[in-house]
Amino acid sequence: MLRKADYSAPVFVAAALGLFFIGGLLTTVVPPLMDKSWAKPFENSDAAKGVTGKLQPYTEQQLQGRAIYVREGCWYCHTQQTRTLLADTKRSGWRGVDAPISTPDEFVYDSPHLFGTKRTGPDLSRVGGKYDEQWHKAHFRNPRDLVPGSIMPPFPWIANNETEFQALVAYMQTLGRAKNWRPDNDYEK
Amino acid sequence: MQSEATIRRAGEIPVSAAARYNESIHQDTTARLFLASSITYFFIVGIVALVIAAKFVWPQLMGTIPMLTYGRLRPLHVNGMLFGWLLAADMGLMYYVVPRLCGVRLWSEKLGIATAALWNVIILGAVVTLLLGVNQGLEYAELPLPLDVLVVVAWVMFGANIFMTVATRKYTQMYVTIWYCLGTILWTAFVYLTGNFATLFSTGVNQANLNWMYVHNAVGLIFTPVGLAIAYYFIPKTSNNPLHSHKLSMIGFWSLAFVYVWTGAHHMIHGPISQWLQTISIVFSVMLLIPVWAVVYNFFATMRGQWQQLRDNVPLKFLMTGVVFYLLTCFQGPMHSLRSVNAIVSKTDWIPGHAHMAVLGAFSFFAIAGAYYVVPRICKTRLYSDALANWSFWLFLIGGVGFFVTLWLGGFWQGWQWNNPAIPFIDTVIALEPVWLVRFFSGILMFGGIVTFAYNILATMLGPKGNQSQAALATA
Repeated sequence: MLRKADYSAPVFVAAALGLFFIGGLLTTVVPPLMDKSWAKPFENSDAAKGVTGKLQPYTEQQLQGRAIYVREGCWYCHTQQTRTLLADTKRSGWRGVDAPISTPDEFVYDSPHLFGTKRTGPDLSRVGGKYDEQWHKAHFRNPRDLVPGSIMPPFPWIANNETEFQALVAYMQTLGRAKNWRPDNDYEK
Repeated sequence: MQSEATIRRAGEIPVSAAARYNESIHQDTTARLFLASSITYFFIVGIVALVIAAKFVWPQLMGTIPMLTYGRLRPLHVNGMLFGWLLAADMGLMYYVVPRLCGVRLWSEKLGIATAALWNVIILGAVVTLLLGVNQGLEYAELPLPLDVLVVVAWVMFGANIFMTVATRKYTQMYVTIWYCLGTILWTAFVYLTGNFATLFSTGVNQANLNWMYVHNAVGLIFTPVGLAIAYYFIPKTSNNPLHSHKLSMIGFWSLAFVYVWTGAHHMIHGPISQWLQTISIVFSVMLLIPVWAVVYNFFATMRGQWQQLRDNVPLKFLMTGVVFYLLTCFQGPMHSLRSVNAIVSKTDWIPGHAHMAVLGAFSFFAIAGAYYVVPRICKTRLYSDALANWSFWLFLIGGVGFFVTLWLGGFWQGWQWNNPAIPFIDTVIALEPVWLVRFFSGILMFGGIVTFAYNILATMLGPKGNQSQAALATA
């Protein structure tokens, strides 16, 4: 049957697009219809059902900070996903407490999504609240001052621009905070 | 049609068809423009590539200049190589190959020239916007919306030209190269729209899923089919050998058309995306071995008894080395999608090693071979220097293998370290310093390949017509 496509361009086009659309539609249009958690923001107040918390929409300032994170390409080296791997939950953890894995309902306000593909620096999916403003300022100025051996580029133009710096830090402090996973809400304010 | 009988016998068309009519009907201006500009970008973006490789070793390098920070140069490197060099070179080769396989001239040389001009506007626009930090935040889809629209317009212009050429063809049967070229045009249209427009109407995991469908198929349904279109034409052509099997090429093509698009979610194995979708992507990733092995076997069998030609046929060296890299990279891909392997290699430096073997090792090698074959012919002269061409091959090969192997070893080691949470993350960074240093030096060798290749091609283009002396000297 496909031999016909050797001689007829219309048959060829129909076959090539037909085969492509089966997989194309089933893997892009169907999944969000099947799995509602992709679009429903995380919310749980019943400790019996697991970790509690609520995903909040970003504020104006946090969105501005997120735009800076995108502009400088932070997402090329920092992933934002605590995967279903034991090591990931420990590395994203805090003071001996393992972090919960990332779930689709924690990311419904994210556009562009920043899951990332490459982990040159550490994962940031649960970094919110771990380091204070002063730490971030020194770190952006020269990462090696705080973390010897780091290969992160310096970002003096952000550290020296108070509006941009505040916005970026405001965004970073939201990361992974939808779930109240730390004991006694051990966050730095 | 008289040629029909020969056409039916697998493999005989590509090699002999072109010789049967007067070659001088072709103008090839469009092919020449696309090849000249793409090779220029290959050189310029090669410099960017070296800079970002150096930044892994010397992180302070140019670190205080916003435009030259890693996060802005990396998308320039990726987009510049993918769209400025590789896709443009592939398009240039298609403007050369398709008219010859159809036995007619290109439908519209004027439209082709306009497409080449528009493509250059897009690439220059991309350079400016990416350096300014204008970035949509989605991999391979970094360019801002106005440039995306221009890409669509340019693609429609390219597609119309090729489809109209095929519609007016003299040879009724379409050779494999034409299938792959038409497939590329059709699939790319939808894949590109998904990755650059549909993503704008979605968020979170849904958007990521569309993004990975695009990223994966940018390689699988753009660079793979157009690269194979080139290999299917130039392997028989440069070795003067009929293609081994028509049936195998059909299996390869139609299984690719069906299987590839399912695999996008394998970029998020273990990640926050539905498990059933991960499993589907894994199953189809493994099935990718079918189109790959069908194609690779066909190419190897075509070379049966002819391997001695590799000794001094430089385009064939690039082509067959590219086939080996294609086989290897497409063995890695399905293996990476397995959950147990993925837990080690995903997100590590192994992945750039894998990606570079696909895009540089396989598909760029095909395009380079095509350029070496085509440019002297459209300029009606001989290649400026065969010896220099041979140098470019060895520089690319040694630099490339050094790059790939170092990153695999380093990445695998890194993945093992990450899986032991007792090792602080920063120690896994420090451990990779020697790996990145070797990668940088391998990059210098690869850049040497780019320089010798680009110089040779541009000297052939700009040199005197019918230039025999230089080439004779070089081969003597």
